Amino acid sequence: MAGNFWKSSHFQQWILDKQDLVRERQEDLKHLTEEEYMKVQIFFSNFIQVLGEQHKLRQQVIATATVYFKRFYARNSLKSIDPFLLAPTCIFLASKVEEFGVISANRLAASCTNVVKNKFSYAYPQDYPYHSKHILECEFYLLENLDCCLIVFQPYRPLLLLIQDIGQEEQLQALSWRIINDSLRTDLSLLYAPHQIAIGALQIACVILQKELKSWFAELNVDMDKIQEIARAIVNLFELWKGFDEKKEIAGLLEKLPKAKPNVAPNATR
Amino acid sequence: MAPSSYKKYEKISFLGEGQFAMVYKARNIETDDIVAVKKIKLGSKEEARDGINRTALREIKLLQELSHENVIGLLDVFGHKSNVSLVFEFIDTDLEIIIKDQKIVLTPGNIKSYLIQTLKGLEYLHRSWIMHRDLKPNNLLVNSAGILKVGDFGLAKFYGSPSRINTHQVVTRWYRAPELLFGARHYATGVDIWAVGCILAELLLRVPFLPGDSDLNQLDRIFSVFGTPSEELWPGVKLLPDYIQFKPYPAIPLKEIFTACSDDLIEVADKMFSLYPMKRCTATEALKMPYFSNRPPPTEGSKLPMPVKQSEEEPSGKPNLKRKLLDQISDSIPGKKRLQF
Repeated sequence: MAGNFWKSSHFQQWILDKQDLVRERQEDLKHLTEEEYMKVQIFFSNFIQVLGEQHKLRQQVIATATVYFKRFYARNSLKSIDPFLLAPTCIFLASKVEEFGVISANRLAASCTNVVKNKFSYAYPQDYPYHSKHILECEFYLLENLDCCLIVFQPYRPLLLLIQDIGQEEQLQALSWRIINDSLRTDLSLLYAPHQIAIGALQIACVILQKELKSWFAELNVDMDKIQEIARAIVNLFELWKGFDEKKEIAGLLEKLPKAKPNVAPNATR
Repeated sequence: MAPSSYKKYEKISFLGEGQFAMVYKARNIETDDIVAVKKIKLGSKEEARDGINRTALREIKLLQELSHENVIGLLDVFGHKSNVSLVFEFIDTDLEIIIKDQKIVLTPGNIKSYLIQTLKGLEYLHRSWIMHRDLKPNNLLVNSAGILKVGDFGLAKFYGSPSRINTHQVVTRWYRAPELLFGARHYATGVDIWAVGCILAELLLRVPFLPGDSDLNQLDRIFSVFGTPSEELWPGVKLLPDYIQFKPYPAIPLKEIFTACSDDLIEVADKMFSLYPMKRCTATEALKMPYFSNRPPPTEGSKLPMPVKQSEEEPSGKPNLKRKLLDQISDSIPGKKRLQF
């Protein structure tokens, strides 16, 4: 991706305030605790990841799709559109935006059916109910709710630059990269700039690998408080994830979700 | 920019139709602003299965990130299902209409003003890592204040990723750089600069400079002016996918073609028309050349000429006759044709 982050729609319109995020979620938090809400987000991030891998998408496309998903529900209740429909729609739009090539909506709906049946039946025992026409219908609501902001900056490129500066550190790079993948399951992409997330991921990777880079971190021109917040959020994610038995819990959590009326658009106008 | 409902816009007149879209002049009933609505055609059943049209999506994605005086502004997006419309600021005219208008005199100052504005818009795009890939006079829009804006981003694309392969089927043929005609897949912003060179020439000649009627004829016309390239002049030219040997032409000095043109402008044209893409100037380099600071100064925006009958409203629903004729003329040209406004 390209361009100047500080002048981008990502920075100017889509770095949200933590308080606003919590407020927007009140509707859903009547049905779920904050922890349960996070678990649902973890589940759907996994779903998008698996779906993306089915179509051999680059991680960049999967990450963009995941951020679209987060942005949509940052402003809408989970009941406005069934996340099982929004997830493939995010993949559909992201693959076009990232110039990956069009994935046909038919194939996407078909792979959803398969993935739900073969990999996520513990979460969704029924048949997958959506078809390509639903994805096509949903695409425009997604575009609208993103305010047409389609270009998403990801932490991967800043990470590579930072690693370059540290010097060849393959293990550190690989681990930080994976931590960034994991961070997609949190709200971080809605709250912090991608280079901050990259630094937060690096810091955790250093702790895990017991690498001493204190002086290098000290020379970075960043708000270290923010980096700490990011690191804390990632650690929280790991703890929550460790104690999250998805196979056992998720069906119950999805049962508690406020339900979407089928085929109904969200109140898109604000 | 939050997208809004189509009910917000009231159609005033039809402006034009192209391969991908219909364009209407419309009024925003809330603000009374006049806008141009580009309604993307639904296309074939097959295309409809792809959801929101990719050309439209590309324009939305890029324009949403851009803001520059010399780049068209996207105001709004509306629609439902796959039927998308893009709302742009309405701009009175374009460089094609101005060039073709026999009543308009283009002074050296006017030409300098158009070139500066085009290059500034282009410099901004290239700095944002965006190639336009379809520059031509009717994609350079001019408003009544004489501000020129680069428009139509349906073919625009990010560049700079070394591994990414591009299609060479871009840019309307007359403005297409020689490397594209030879089928190059790794090209860069030089294709836009070549097109600006062609536009510069057209401003001077008042007719298209290199109106090829086929890709081969286009190359033939290019080489008959600039000379047939050799490996020394253009390293690697023979390795391009569609390279073919042309009969050897000598280069003609541009001064012999543009006899009335000042030397400093010839210097700019020479740099833009380098056959070897790596030797072509960038927009930034071009703007630093003496021509742009020499006399005469560029004409002030408000003093730039406008075609007559701009302010008249067209009867609702009927195509603008002049525009329609222009479209018919250009539609008869084979090759890639697209809609601009």
